[in-house]
Amino acid sequence: MRIIVLGAGHVGTTVVEALFDDHELTVVDRDPARIAALANSFDVRTVEGNGASSSVLLEAGVRDTDLLIASTSRDEVNLVAAMLVRRLAPQTRTLVRTTDVEHLRAWRDEVLDIDYMVSSELEAAAAVIDAIAVPGARVADVFADGQVTIAEFDVEQRAHACALLDVPLSRAPIPPQSRVALIIRDDVLLLPRGDETIQLGDRVAVMASPAAMLEWSRQLAPDEPVVEEVVVFGATQVGIAIARKLLLHDLRVRLVEPDAERARRAAAELPRARVFHASPSDRTLLREERIGAAQVAVAALGDDADSLYAAVTARAVGIHTTIGVVDDPQSIAVFDQAGVDVAVNPRAATAQRLVLFAHDPRTRQVALMDDDRFDVLDVVVRPQSRLVGRPLRELPRTSSTIGAIVRDDSALFPHGDTELQPGDRVIVLVDQTRTAEVEAAL
Amino acid sequence: MRAPRLGVDLGAVFDLLGGVLRWIGLAFLAPTLVALFTGEDVLPWLAAGAAASGTGVLLDRLTHERRADRIGQREGFLVIALIWLLVPVFGALPFVLSGEPQLKAPVDAYFEAMSGFTASGGSVVPHVEQLSETVQFWRQLSHWLGGMGIIVLAIAILPRLRVGGRRLLQSELAGPTELERFGSTIRDTARNLWSLYVGLTLVATLVLATVGWLGLDDAMTPWQAFAHASSAMALGGFSPQGESVAAFAPISQWILVVVMVVAGLNFLRLFNVLIRRRGARELGRDDEVRLYGGFLLAATALLLVELLTSGEASGEEAVRQSAFQATSIMTTTGFATVDYTQWGSLATMTLLLLMFVGASAGSTGGSIKVVRHLLLFRIARRDLATAAHPHVVTPVRKNGIVVDEQALRSTVLFVLLYLFAFALGSLGLVIDAERTGVELSAFDAIGAAASSIGNVGPAFGDAGPYGSFAGYSNLSTAILTVLMWLGRVEIVPVAVLLTRSFWRP
Repeated sequence: MRIIVLGAGHVGTTVVEALFDDHELTVVDRDPARIAALANSFDVRTVEGNGASSSVLLEAGVRDTDLLIASTSRDEVNLVAAMLVRRLAPQTRTLVRTTDVEHLRAWRDEVLDIDYMVSSELEAAAAVIDAIAVPGARVADVFADGQVTIAEFDVEQRAHACALLDVPLSRAPIPPQSRVALIIRDDVLLLPRGDETIQLGDRVAVMASPAAMLEWSRQLAPDEPVVEEVVVFGATQVGIAIARKLLLHDLRVRLVEPDAERARRAAAELPRARVFHASPSDRTLLREERIGAAQVAVAALGDDADSLYAAVTARAVGIHTTIGVVDDPQSIAVFDQAGVDVAVNPRAATAQRLVLFAHDPRTRQVALMDDDRFDVLDVVVRPQSRLVGRPLRELPRTSSTIGAIVRDDSALFPHGDTELQPGDRVIVLVDQTRTAEVEAAL
Repeated sequence: MRAPRLGVDLGAVFDLLGGVLRWIGLAFLAPTLVALFTGEDVLPWLAAGAAASGTGVLLDRLTHERRADRIGQREGFLVIALIWLLVPVFGALPFVLSGEPQLKAPVDAYFEAMSGFTASGGSVVPHVEQLSETVQFWRQLSHWLGGMGIIVLAIAILPRLRVGGRRLLQSELAGPTELERFGSTIRDTARNLWSLYVGLTLVATLVLATVGWLGLDDAMTPWQAFAHASSAMALGGFSPQGESVAAFAPISQWILVVVMVVAGLNFLRLFNVLIRRRGARELGRDDEVRLYGGFLLAATALLLVELLTSGEASGEEAVRQSAFQATSIMTTTGFATVDYTQWGSLATMTLLLLMFVGASAGSTGGSIKVVRHLLLFRIARRDLATAAHPHVVTPVRKNGIVVDEQALRSTVLFVLLYLFAFALGSLGLVIDAERTGVELSAFDAIGAAASSIGNVGPAFGDAGPYGSFAGYSNLSTAILTVLMWLGRVEIVPVAVLLTRSFWRP
């Protein structure tokens, strides 16, 4: 595949590093020094110039290109380049990095004619969520504006006393508002029919409302502290994105920001978070506000040294899990040495997502689970679909489970006799090889 | 020699004032026609109209080269304060000129005109039904003109007010409203407001007239229908009937309750819902609308308790009396269907407190307004939270949207000034009563001051809904007139005039 990468910064370089072996890359950047450094390390074509200019894009060979990855740090450049490419070479797919949630929203509403959009802030937020959202889960993700959570648990010895084990699913005390989507036993995928059981050593994928998912977590991982409250240090763009995502998960969020104006803006933007204007190391604050009562601290102050200090302070006042958002990839090791549990690098996460798309550009695909064997689809049912109006138990078996249905803005977790209606938004767990088939059927 | 420079462009102020007054003269054509029709003397009306227009033209001439684009923030305050001070002067002229026996004294005539234009509804006339028909008509018309606002009307009609009109409109509309969210030019906004106002008045008049025509209410003639519909839309309170709305059948009273409740809503909102057909669902979820409804229901319930326990009324009559009085006093209208001064302390206290509530921002009502109570409560809650958590940052929200700190400060400022003016006013009344030896209880003084500054109208004691302020001395009448004026311009435009920095360059 021929790919143009705009921007030879951190994200662009990571993308190039991941893709240059299998694809023909052309890298465009305004800075000759960065171009030279990149060309020395990797075997790629380089073009010096502004990516938001049609002559530069033409020079980079946009007409014979399959994919444009616009990954500069400037949103406008990325957007203009994508718009130009849409005109200059309509068959070229476009992949845009943005830092502005507004752009992302416009893209989701199909106002921006772009194939895929990735935001560093949201990627970082997703990484934080993955780390904490469901205690004891291997992976977790949310859909339908936070109404549906998907998580995968390993059923281990600690769950031996759980009432859900070894009972046929139809009779098991499954928490309401939830549904077992998949059971994996000895590397074999089992669809959860009523007579199936959950056994020790299984891996189960569950779809549930956020509250029900916590119940699952209590059952299958009883010794993990339940995350109820998170303190976010720093109302940076990343910090706010993380806080917003945490709130979607029904967690209590406190946000500590040293800058008055930023604190004010954050408080305006996040009505449900409690925002404090104070230094993260302010002892009165830590004591008076009982910061140590939170289970998780996320340090996203925009400066790695500040974030590190905040994260270590949080650990010192007794917070169980500490997460640092790092700017410089080299800081990851430092955070690790200092005992910070998780270090999230937004740009690395963005690059990963961009690479993922370049490999397998299915825009519908919203998440990957279980080592990429399963896709989670988030699809709206078309009126002419032949599956409409039939109870779920009668639907053809295609190695997939409909885990949740969003109807009239509220999520329901279907049973065998639930019928699909046109306009339903369904969250489907599906074998990766049959994704297209399922999507077409719906 | 260095002449002391003035920071306010008086030329621009007079120019604008002249422009508005010139056209105010036209309003006197309506009572002139009525006088021709009823065979009364037309001269006082023509003379007053000519005086208004003449003054306007004169001011215009004096400031020939001036342009309205010099109307800044400060000039705007002065214009608003002066217009509301001057228009009632011309409005009072015919009362004096026509030799109306109950309005002979200029102070009384000015009070009556101020009460009319500020849509208060308090009267110095003991026997309203003895007034000549033209005078009655003019009282109702002054309510209606002043209700939506002379300046709003001027902005809608006069081309010269296109510049600088936004600030004027902002200050003129009662209470803090989000003009920007209305999304039109300032002139369109003013026109929309007035056309909605005219439309609603017509609908209310027609509905009331139909009730009379169907024979459901014999007292409701077309003239009475117009008089009460316009008075209710303006949240005024003048009635050509001596016993106010008690003269009409229960169905008419209920209709007027509905009219008052609607007129007490934000007109910008109302326009969006009724004409543009959007935001109808939001209206029910609006913080201010909900609190407005809550206040009305709570007040009705309190009055009902009093009526039922004291046995003053029962059944539908009790519900109707409490709903009507609560709505009338809270929305600052001032109609009455019963002499509430005879009620017990629970009802009296409720009514007094209601005078401080008011209707919604952007309505035709006066007083503090529901939205300010809402903000005040939330400011208090926020500041108490800050007392417990010194570092916490909590913005105050209305309908989920953050209200900026400047707006919060002006809310607090307004309420403080309002209470201060009210306190001074009631003190002034008592001092004057002491001086003249008139019998005036402290509660009645408080009631009269609260009613006047809130543009409610009737108060307690002799000044109740079936009484009048006729017993008050000239000085007391003047104090009440000033309070009505302050209440209508929402104090700030006048209060800033008293600061030195206002006049500095």
